[in-house]
Formats: sequence, structure tokens, C-alpha cells
Amino acid sequence: MSEREERLLDLLEKRTFDGLTPAEERELSELNATDDVSLDLTAAAISLAQLEKVEPMPAQLRSRIESAADEYFTQKVSQSGSTRTVRESNAGWWNWFGWALAGAACIALAANIYLTRVNPPLAAGPGPTPTPAPVQITPEQQRAQLLASAPDIAKANISAGKESYVPSGDIVWSDTNQAGYIHVKGLPKNDPGHEQYQLWIFDESQDPKTPIDGGVFDVNSEGEVVIPIDAKIKVKNPKVFAITVEKPGGVVVSKQEKVAALAKVETNPS
Amino acid sequence: MADSILKRIALGNRDAVSDCLDTYGGLVWSIARKMLRSQNDAEDAVQEIFIDIWKNAERFDENQSSETTFIAMIARRRIIDRIRKSNRRISADSFEDVLSEPESRGDRKIEISVEAGEAAEALRTLKPEQQQVLQLSIVQGLSHQEIADVTGMPLGTVKTHARRGILQAREMLGITGIGKEASI
Repeated sequence: MSEREERLLDLLEKRTFDGLTPAEERELSELNATDDVSLDLTAAAISLAQLEKVEPMPAQLRSRIESAADEYFTQKVSQSGSTRTVRESNAGWWNWFGWALAGAACIALAANIYLTRVNPPLAAGPGPTPTPAPVQITPEQQRAQLLASAPDIAKANISAGKESYVPSGDIVWSDTNQAGYIHVKGLPKNDPGHEQYQLWIFDESQDPKTPIDGGVFDVNSEGEVVIPIDAKIKVKNPKVFAITVEKPGGVVVSKQEKVAALAKVETNPS
Repeated sequence: MADSILKRIALGNRDAVSDCLDTYGGLVWSIARKMLRSQNDAEDAVQEIFIDIWKNAERFDENQSSETTFIAMIARRRIIDRIRKSNRRISADSFEDVLSEPESRGDRKIEISVEAGEAAEALRTLKPEQQQVLQLSIVQGLSHQEIADVTGMPLGTVKTHARRGILQAREMLGITGIGKEASI
């Protein structure tokens, strides 16, 4: 192999395994070999061969990419001045329809305000006392309320357990309210009929060998969930939280065979 | 015969992007999650990868590889670039986790493309050390130095296993390029 070929192979190999610096990219380009993707394709095939499973992409990530695509293709069309893409031509109609709908809604709202102010409904005697509709508060909102009102929030950032994935998020808890929430992302979706996540609370009142059961929960394909903690007994000054994978419904004592996440309390009021 | 997804993207068909995400979204996501240990990093990388895919769609040559392998190649390149730019180094704590990955998962592999099946076959013919180096490098995104640190092999040995292994695998896959395995 010639010196040039040897150097070329070095660069192609480095591009495949470690990536090239800008200077090396230029060197490869000067050697007229940027199109030799043989090692990259080989590595790609190996990476596919070694992939154990294909997990669905999180929905919110897909939305981000779809939005980026809209932007990218709009720019591309405007730069090239070529014919509009299929999606764009439809988007134009939808945009028009959206504005028309918004306009109609504004007119209806204005009419409603005018009519109710100018002609208030006649009093027709006492009617039945309206029952206020129950307000549905999401776990996210409940968590926000707890954070805003509880005087003694203990907070723990979630980190990896013993599994290959790396979850993130936090766990908050209030001794006063005896309430708390897990906010976690990055845990794989579970099949509730097969296994569930279970929270364990290590606090100062319990022996570490028998942490408090914090309830079971599931993770959907979106991968980000806010779950109310369902502590089975009173929690006092939690130190560490652990999330394990257990059989459906959870267990009384975990063997901790699959520790999905750990969270050490960093902010503790006491 | 219908145009491939990448050809439709190259022609500026926006709807082909949705087809691309339907078909390859999970695949790219899984590769990113395997190589990048942070979920946030993986999300950012996947978004960049798909933009790269749109930009490079016209480069796809169906005579050279399957669409799946081409997309996996773009994904790997972007991820490696991110790893290199972030100067990421795995922590000592994660060495045990990395090495505890089973060396052979045989039956658990999913056959995603023809090349993937052939690559699995090719890997089986390599020496165990070559398999280990390629697995740590290609699948888990470790640099040669990191592999040397993790396995205890001298850096030169890691480089030799990597080169011989990938050239031999390339030859078995029938992909043509510079350098012959026999000449190393």
C-alpha cells in the first residue's frame, strides 16, 4: 500500500471510529476520498446487527423534528424557487381555514359579549344552585401546587440505576403534606401486564433493608411522566429514593434485581 | 416501483419526511440511546440526524447499500461528531457497566437490514478481541483510548484489532473501498 493510501485509510478509519477534526476533513477532501464511505457503511451495518431492540421515538421529539422539517423544506423551497411541496400546498389551505375559523370565533365571541351585556337574561326566580364542575388537576399541576405551598420540600435529582438507560428528572417530597411527586423522563416504556416500576423511599424512620413502598407506576411511550407518590406508611425525612422494576402490582420486599433509577435527596429542609 | 423514501425527500416531498420518521424514527432513536448515555443528548442528536438525512438524501445510492444502512451511517456520523466535540469521556464508575454488556446476544438480534444480518455473520468470524473492540467502538461509541482504558489492552493493540476487524467485516459484506484486509 502506498503512503498516500495508508494515510487515506487512516483518515477513513478515524472518520468511522472517532470522527475527524476540521483539518483532517480538509485533508481527506484534498485526497479526493470523501465519497469512500465503505468503512462507514460497514460500521453502520455492524451497529444495526448489534442493536438488541428498536424503541419508539418519544412523541414530543417527533413533533420537534416535524416542526424542523416544516422550516427546512420551506426554506429549501424559497431558496430554490421551485414548485411548492405537497405538504406546503395543503398547509396554505389549512392556514387559510385556520384564520377563517379564528375570525369566525372572534365575531361570535364579540357578539356574545355584546348581547349578554346589552340584554342580560331576565331573572326567572331562584333556580337550582349550580353545582360547580369538578376541576381536574393534572399531576403536573398538583406537583406545582405542592412546590408552591409546602414549607418543607425535599428534592432529589434522578440518576441512573443499574440498567443501561439514563433517566433524568427529580423527586420531590413534603413531610408536612405527606405528599410528593416523581417527575422522570428516560425510563423505557413498560408493559403493565408484565412488569411495573415501583418507588422505594429510604427515610430516617426505617431500616435501609426495609424501605417504604412508594407505589407502582407505568411509563408510556412518551417517556416522561409525573406520578404522585403513594407512600404506604408515614415518611419522615427521606434520604434516598429508588425505582425498581417489579412484577405487576409491585412487591412487598424488592430483590432489587432491576434498579431503574436512584435519587439522593440534595435539598432537605430539616 | 415506488421511489424510496430518501429519493422522495431528495425531490422535496415534505410528506416523505413523515414516512421517514415512521420507518426509521425508532431505529435512529435506538442507535442514539445506545451510544449517548444522556437522554437529552440523544434527543438533540436525533433531531440533527434527521436534518442531516434530508440534506444528504440525494447521496443515497441503492446499489451501494440499503436505505436502512445509509441512514444508520448518517446517524453514527452525527453521534460520533457530538461525542468528539463534547470531548466526552466515560467515568470510571461506568466502566463496569460497559464491560458487563454481554459479548454475544446471538438470538436476540433483530434483523433490520440485509447488511445487518450479514454483518452479524461477519462479526462471528472475527477473533473475540476484534469483536470486543468493534462492539465497544461502533456500538457504544468509545474511542480507542477509552477502549484501552476499559479493557486494559495497549492502545496500539486496540487500533490493530479495530482496523483488521473492520476491514475483514467490510470484505465479507462485499463493500468495496480502499485498503485490503490481507495487506494489513
